[in-house]
Amino acid sequence: MSSKIFVASILVTLLSVTFISCIGDDIVFDEVVETIRITNAPDTLALDSEYRFEYIYLDKTGNEGQAINVKWQSSDPEVIDISQDGNANALQSGRATIEVTALIDGVELLDQADVVVGQSTVLNNDSKSGTIKTTSSYVLEGSFTLQQTGNDLTLQIADDYRASSSLPGLVLYLTNNPNTIEGSLEISPVTVFNGAHEYLIENVDIEEYGYLLYFCKPFRVKVGDGKIND
Amino acid sequence: MRQVKYYLTILLLHGLFLQSLWAGGWPQPKGKGYFKLSEWWMIADKHYTDTGLKDPNITSGLFTTSLYAEYGLSNRITGIVYFPVFSRNYFNNQISGTTGETLKSGEAINSIGDPNVGVKIGLTQADRGIVLSSILTLGLPLGESAGGVDGALQTGDGEFNQMLQMELGFGLGSGSSPSYGKVTSGFNNRTKGFSDEFRLHVELGKNLFNNRVWLIGRLNMIESLKNGKDASQVITSGIFANNTEVTSLQVEANYYITETLGISASISSPLRGEITYAANAYEVGFFVDMK
Repeated sequence: MSSKIFVASILVTLLSVTFISCIGDDIVFDEVVETIRITNAPDTLALDSEYRFEYIYLDKTGNEGQAINVKWQSSDPEVIDISQDGNANALQSGRATIEVTALIDGVELLDQADVVVGQSTVLNNDSKSGTIKTTSSYVLEGSFTLQQTGNDLTLQIADDYRASSSLPGLVLYLTNNPNTIEGSLEISPVTVFNGAHEYLIENVDIEEYGYLLYFCKPFRVKVGDGKIND
Repeated sequence: MRQVKYYLTILLLHGLFLQSLWAGGWPQPKGKGYFKLSEWWMIADKHYTDTGLKDPNITSGLFTTSLYAEYGLSNRITGIVYFPVFSRNYFNNQISGTTGETLKSGEAINSIGDPNVGVKIGLTQADRGIVLSSILTLGLPLGESAGGVDGALQTGDGEFNQMLQMELGFGLGSGSSPSYGKVTSGFNNRTKGFSDEFRLHVELGKNLFNNRVWLIGRLNMIESLKNGKDASQVITSGIFANNTEVTSLQVEANYYITETLGISASISSPLRGEITYAANAYEVGFFVDMK
């Protein structure tokens, strides 16, 4: 009788363990604020020139989506006139604010760019910067700049950078959603944990991503991020 | 007193923590043995960082079905084998809380784990009140150390380690409900860039219900010497990560169904740690005790 109880206990245990060893679901809180942004705003437009403004719409997951009801508007149509497909004409010297809006689920998204009409067309600053900060209990801090050189980006991490070397598999990404690596661009595994260094990122436009993301692959957890500011 | 020593001999044998051997305070008598089939598991959605604080991680499960055997080769020398015959490590699916879509499918690996083989040598006579033993354990890297898409699923650490321990066992009472204690400490020499470890294990056991039940409490400690590569240079995770430290408290109950057959169950809870999962570990087992 005792032997039967013993064998039955073994079977019940094995069945129970088999059941709980199944893969389950983890919910990732990956919602970000929807955004629309002008991706090629110039500093200056040459008088009597034409220019095509472009935008990108990022949905609640940070992925590029299709915006509807997109409208272009100029604060001073006598300086810069713009059509609803983003084609602008520089009509007279002065300054105007170009605005793009989209209505998504009843919420208006908006981005603006101040543009001067002058002697020649000067594209916007090819450089952006930001601050890296930890979102975990691992050390991660520092500042950075992004520089567009032709089709490529150079990410320069400054002297004040520090990161924990205790993390197995820390990887750096570019992303529009700092809550997940889904839809992000993997730049490189992190091998420098102190001081200045840089990364060359080929065939990426400076307007394409909004954040640096530091992510621990083996533990699959976010370690920190850095918003890319204009 | 003689009864206490008898219990010590047969019952200081059960500890199993993080797939390491914790053999008893006294070698098995020649021709006698202790055999155990057990299931150990841990499901973790948090880990200890290098600061000792807890951070979240994707839920990871590790399940190990193992065979553990001690057999008296002589009255002073006991052979010890821990063999994880089946080990499963998985990551959960990652589901978008915004869209409900699967961001990354979960994955799992199934394999054998890292077995340990060892020998325990009695350094003092069996009939003394205090027993001193030496244990040499070899950890064989037969498990999977880099499974899954990112190489982060593991059923073993991929390194060959050699652990030398000294163990002191002693009786604490007599009569119908004897107790015992034991202290084990040792050095774990690890290879392939893994840091060496100091290990300490303190155990107290109490007999209840006239030899039917043994309750055991354990304090287990692993301290890394941090003399190997940085964790960043060794892609491992969870309990297999490099430079891992943990101090845990374990409670185990053993029930003898017959004179020789029994069942056991334990729970181990971490008190502190670094670079390892912060979750309880559970074990259930069935043993045969050749008294």
